[in-house]
Amino acid sequence: MFTKFEEYAANQMLGQPDSPPRASGKLYFSEEWQRTVFGMAMALSKEGHFEWEDFRQKLIQSIAAWERDACGGQTTWDYYDRYAMALMAVLEEYGVIEAGEVASLAAMS
Amino acid sequence: MSALFEYDDDREIASAAKVRALEALLIKKGVLGSDSVDTVLRHFETVAGSFNGARIVARAWVDPAYKQRLLDDTPKAIAELNFPLGMDGAEGEHMKAVANTPETHNLIICTLCSCYPWPVLGLPPYWYKDPVFRSRGVREPRAVLKEFGVPIAPEREVKVWDSSAQIRWFVVPERPAGSEHLSEDELAELITPEAMMGVALVPSPKVA
Repeated sequence: MFTKFEEYAANQMLGQPDSPPRASGKLYFSEEWQRTVFGMAMALSKEGHFEWEDFRQKLIQSIAAWERDACGGQTTWDYYDRYAMALMAVLEEYGVIEAGEVASLAAMS
Repeated sequence: MSALFEYDDDREIASAAKVRALEALLIKKGVLGSDSVDTVLRHFETVAGSFNGARIVARAWVDPAYKQRLLDDTPKAIAELNFPLGMDGAEGEHMKAVANTPETHNLIICTLCSCYPWPVLGLPPYWYKDPVFRSRGVREPRAVLKEFGVPIAPEREVKVWDSSAQIRWFVVPERPAGSEHLSEDELAELITPEAMMGVALVPSPKVA
């Protein structure tokens, strides 16, 4: 149905638990890093580094894990936080990055 | 109580740092091109979106002959406007515009899947795939429209257009009163995706 990967990928999420924030027909990002992480996942899957559906399942799991957290200890909801976690998980699963690689880089920066 | 709504700045900074580190790592590994992120997002930000639909509607408002061509052969009339490449792909081929008039109000829904004219309306809103909206839109469109803040007078006909893989509908809303002095670009600014779905009216421009 969709000829563009971008539209196919976004459409898979709409109306589902991993549906991305949007406003007035556009994706909604409140911070630049959110735009970056959204675009990275889509670009990497488009280039064949992982199956989009595998990433989506990680994202759905990551959202469900947040929802299961006890109210008292729950971190503030941020869709793109869950999104970043899911992207790192799928990249590790596909062997694109190694566990801990990002954390050690982020700690140095 | 206010603590409930406090945002954790540290976490925001940590997330941003993590994403930047990941991006740098992937570029270094040669997995991600330095412009890959912008390339995929360009699709949503400048290629396919409601800004296209707004341009089409604004042109139809200022040019009655164009409006007629748009209603007669939508893809052909859209092609006249020289949109960026990708806008006229398979998603655009089956589009059909319907115009609101004093006698008729149009509403687009999709009862089967979630067909939506992406190239002109962008990403559908949250409720578009909601089964309740879909079924009520068919059964009681006037009640649904009233809830959206668009009450339709009893003498005015409501037409519901069910989008499908074959035809993706969008609405040419009525030009608001008091907009006579606006340029085509200024008119386009007034037009929302909701107005082109038929669940909103285009408001009159604010008097400066």
